[in-house]
Amino acid sequence: MALRAYVKTAAMSAADVGENPLFLMDFALRLLRVLVLLALWRTLFAGREAPGVMPLATVLTYTVVAEVFSQQLAVSTTLSVAFWEGTLVLRFLRPMGLVRQFAAEMSGRWALHFALFSVPLVVAAPLLGVDPRPASPAAGALFVISLCLAVLVGLAIEVLFGAITVALEQPVWLVERARVAIATLLSGSLLPLALYPWGIGDVFSWLPFAAMAWAPLAIYTGTGQPLPRLGSQVLWAVVLWPLADWLWRANREKLVGYGG
Amino acid sequence: MVAEDLLLITGARRLVRLWALYGRMDLLFFARGPHTALPWYLSEVVVALAAVTATFLLAERFDDIGTWTRPQVYFLLGYALLVHGLIETFFSYNIAFISRRIGRGQLDHMFIEPLPLWMILLAEGFAPVGATSSLLPGVGLLLWAASQLHLAVGVAWWGLFLVNVVASMAVVLAFAFAWGSLAFWAPRAAEELNSSTYELSHQLAPFPLDGLSGIALASLVTVVPVGLVAWYPSRILLGLEAPPWAPALLPAAALAFVALATWIFRRGLRNYGRTGSTRYSDSGHRR
Repeated sequence: MALRAYVKTAAMSAADVGENPLFLMDFALRLLRVLVLLALWRTLFAGREAPGVMPLATVLTYTVVAEVFSQQLAVSTTLSVAFWEGTLVLRFLRPMGLVRQFAAEMSGRWALHFALFSVPLVVAAPLLGVDPRPASPAAGALFVISLCLAVLVGLAIEVLFGAITVALEQPVWLVERARVAIATLLSGSLLPLALYPWGIGDVFSWLPFAAMAWAPLAIYTGTGQPLPRLGSQVLWAVVLWPLADWLWRANREKLVGYGG
Repeated sequence: MVAEDLLLITGARRLVRLWALYGRMDLLFFARGPHTALPWYLSEVVVALAAVTATFLLAERFDDIGTWTRPQVYFLLGYALLVHGLIETFFSYNIAFISRRIGRGQLDHMFIEPLPLWMILLAEGFAPVGATSSLLPGVGLLLWAASQLHLAVGVAWWGLFLVNVVASMAVVLAFAFAWGSLAFWAPRAAEELNSSTYELSHQLAPFPLDGLSGIALASLVTVVPVGLVAWYPSRILLGLEAPPWAPALLPAAALAFVALATWIFRRGLRNYGRTGSTRYSDSGHRR
């Protein structure tokens, strides 16, 4: 019964996306980003030895798969929108867990974007000269586990930053924009961390943001050992969820200012 | 003729007075104290720098990107930040995100001001203090790159630089206004459309686009003109474009984009004159 409520919420959320046909603009942006990055990698690697651990074919696969799963690798719910519109109080009135509501809505949106953009992109990848398959069947299987952990860590970070926004009494979009900008760089969702200079990629790969994107993508492309990456994801999920939960509860009273 | 000149002079004076007024208000916002100013400023710095950091890191790791040497890449990034910073300086407060103002029915607020619409659009977004978050890093990066490139900059080069910067800004704004005007016809659906156009120009501008295929490259300087924001003008200013007519291409394209955006915006305004804003109910709630 409870599960049905979340599935229904997800379905309603998916239908919501379809009401606004301008989401196609986002698809255009994502496709252009892939094309630009693929061209960039080919330019960079032309006539050059494969730098470090990632040859060109691997980087191309990394880029396409990062875009295919971009929403799962950069988890974003409508928490900020609820803050902004002051509609959080309505969420508390529903007979559902707060984070689970947001997660259900998010997965509904994912479904539509996945069907309309991600699947066609995988199909079209060979036309772009990219092999979208995982490094091995084992890498593909471990990727599924890693992706689930990535979503778990991403959700924890989403709640944590929501709580920080309330705790510091800062404008919603200010924190949101900064978080997205930092996460894009530190998570490896745009560039593989292995290609960062001065060894900073090695440092970033142990931070929580890397557990959101670098870990699953590195496992998928067979870059490095998968077990340490999975271990770091489990560690961050175990550390971040209690922290996010505590900070959220500690600042619940302040939610009144955001319509809670 | 004399009357037209007078009108122009008084209009320019009024614009400068309005800039002074809005500039003071921007300063007052940051003077409210560190609790308000610091997070805001730091967040803007992070967002601005993050957009160019990916290309910066690649240039550091690989020394060059295709035909672009490392200092040339820095020049490209500095130029992209400068254009972004200047747009933030003159067109903040959702002027560059015009779909929000149109979609939220806020054009009505502008129509009741005793000023022509063009002057409001030029004046209301002036934010010289906050915009330094991207302007200063952009200028710094440009100066650093120029010092490494040993550019021979004379009056002609500076003239070309100025024309290119203004043309790049015009292209970004024209693209935003052309798409943002859709909010005249679909206020709710298109309200956030300029977030996407902004993302496009902000995310893709700092990349050297040389490796793209002919069709993709042609699209990125025409249909979605992100190549005109920083890549093409940087090639011109660094002397990477050989044809003698190449420097005229960007200003010409900017004029064409501005003409198209003005045409679409005016058509939208005509429609708005008939329908008005439907975003608010009689009791004042947003639909």
